[in-house]
Amino acid sequence: MLNTLRYILRETFNSVKRNPWLSMASILTVMVSLVILGFSTFFLINASNLAKTFESELEIAVFLQKNMTVQQIKDLQAKIEQLPGVASVLFISQDQALVEISQILGGDQSNIIADLGGTNPLPDKFTVKVIEAQDVPNVAGQLALPGVNKVRYGQEFIEQLLKFTEWLRWVGIVVIIAFAVASIVLISINIKMNVFSRRREIQIMKLVGASNSFIRWPFFTEGMILGLIGGGLAAIIVGFAYQWLVLYIQATVAFLPVVHNNLIFWQVITGLFLSGMAIGAIGSAISLRKFLQV
Amino acid sequence: MIQLTNVSKIYPNGARALVDITINIGKGEFVFLVGPSGAGKSTLIRLLYREEAPTRGQVVINNKNLVRLKDREVPYHRRNIGVIFQDFKLLPNKTVLENVAFALEVIGVSRREVQRRSREATEMVGLAEKEKSFSHQLSGGEQQRVCVARAIVNNPALLIADEPTGNLDHDTAWGIMDLLKSINKLGTTVIMATHAREIVNKMQKRVIAIESGRMVRDEEKGVYGNYA
Repeated sequence: MLNTLRYILRETFNSVKRNPWLSMASILTVMVSLVILGFSTFFLINASNLAKTFESELEIAVFLQKNMTVQQIKDLQAKIEQLPGVASVLFISQDQALVEISQILGGDQSNIIADLGGTNPLPDKFTVKVIEAQDVPNVAGQLALPGVNKVRYGQEFIEQLLKFTEWLRWVGIVVIIAFAVASIVLISINIKMNVFSRRREIQIMKLVGASNSFIRWPFFTEGMILGLIGGGLAAIIVGFAYQWLVLYIQATVAFLPVVHNNLIFWQVITGLFLSGMAIGAIGSAISLRKFLQV
Repeated sequence: MIQLTNVSKIYPNGARALVDITINIGKGEFVFLVGPSGAGKSTLIRLLYREEAPTRGQVVINNKNLVRLKDREVPYHRRNIGVIFQDFKLLPNKTVLENVAFALEVIGVSRREVQRRSREATEMVGLAEKEKSFSHQLSGGEQQRVCVARAIVNNPALLIADEPTGNLDHDTAWGIMDLLKSINKLGTTVIMATHAREIVNKMQKRVIAIESGRMVRDEEKGVYGNYA
């Protein structure tokens, strides 16, 4: 067993030494495809995190008709609070709304009223928060109660964002599959060339009674090691680049939420590493399937 | 030890390499296989180590029916057979000792055993002093002896030689024959396909002649015959 293991490792090493350029090409293809895979994964993780963050800050603005009495407003608020899925209802009078706007615009309150022609054009409103973000459209639909003028929420934005991340996911998957196929093909070409250049040796091995698995293993481990090196390089590149990117984004665009979770990070990095090995194993398995029928 | 029963081999292109051959060879025998080139000697030999399977008939070696042998059992069958090739089939990037050891390494023998047994076999063929040479540094006869050493290092019950003296001069050829004789004396069955008239006639062993795929002669203490 140990003898066989030693033999396999020696053969693997020799074979890489014999075809350095092809081995390099295989490693690089695996690396490139896994770098793309890694970045896409992190991008998708962040995009969905971004969507979730925006969703959790979602609120429904319920604008009231003018000239409602205080009692009518209170009744309406009580009604809304009792709707299923509603977390909280906050009343903002037109005066408060004006204060908010003037704070945002940074001007004087009376100046703004003067600019607007002497009257406050803003309506009274409720700010409704829901328990689950996906209930927003549902709850919004039930808010068309008497006394309500308009209901607004960031529907389009959320839908666009989700559509975009969905699209991105598909593009990412297609690109990744294309590169994975390319690396599998390259690795299997590498193995095939190796097998071809060693067909005499393999024939002799078979004639002196080597079992197929004994002949196959060195090629198989070679594929796995090439894939593993490619995956390892990709993991290093993606890992460092992402860490750097996180720091950069936090320093420059601080409001953008970035996923900086150690568990997820290491899951992705380990995933890249293992995918490299899998690609290598598949590539060599494909090329080894047929040639051993001596 | 070897029973061929009504064996025929027809290649996919329609060539009839062997036609209805029945042969019995006992343990410890020394058998020459003679006949003109292309008569089917090599095909017969390939059937024995199961590089080919017969189209019809049975090939039984050591009570194992090779026709029913599964692909994964073939390597284990070959471990009981040593084969000496006319073109040596040595690995150019390995030394003499490594070439001999190769036959043991591929079947997973421990390193110490490999060393001991390949040294023994190399000594037996008289190449102990050249064990570190590569095959291109050896003469034809020496290369053939490496091939013999590799074939016997496993202590096979059956030794098959396909024109082992074909490329060798008279003295070297007899050197190889002496080797085969002494291996045969130790109990190994030897089957040798050859065109060497002088050797066959002098050795006085069993001779099986094949012409156009048919067995035409099988005699104890036979002679070569009228082939080129």
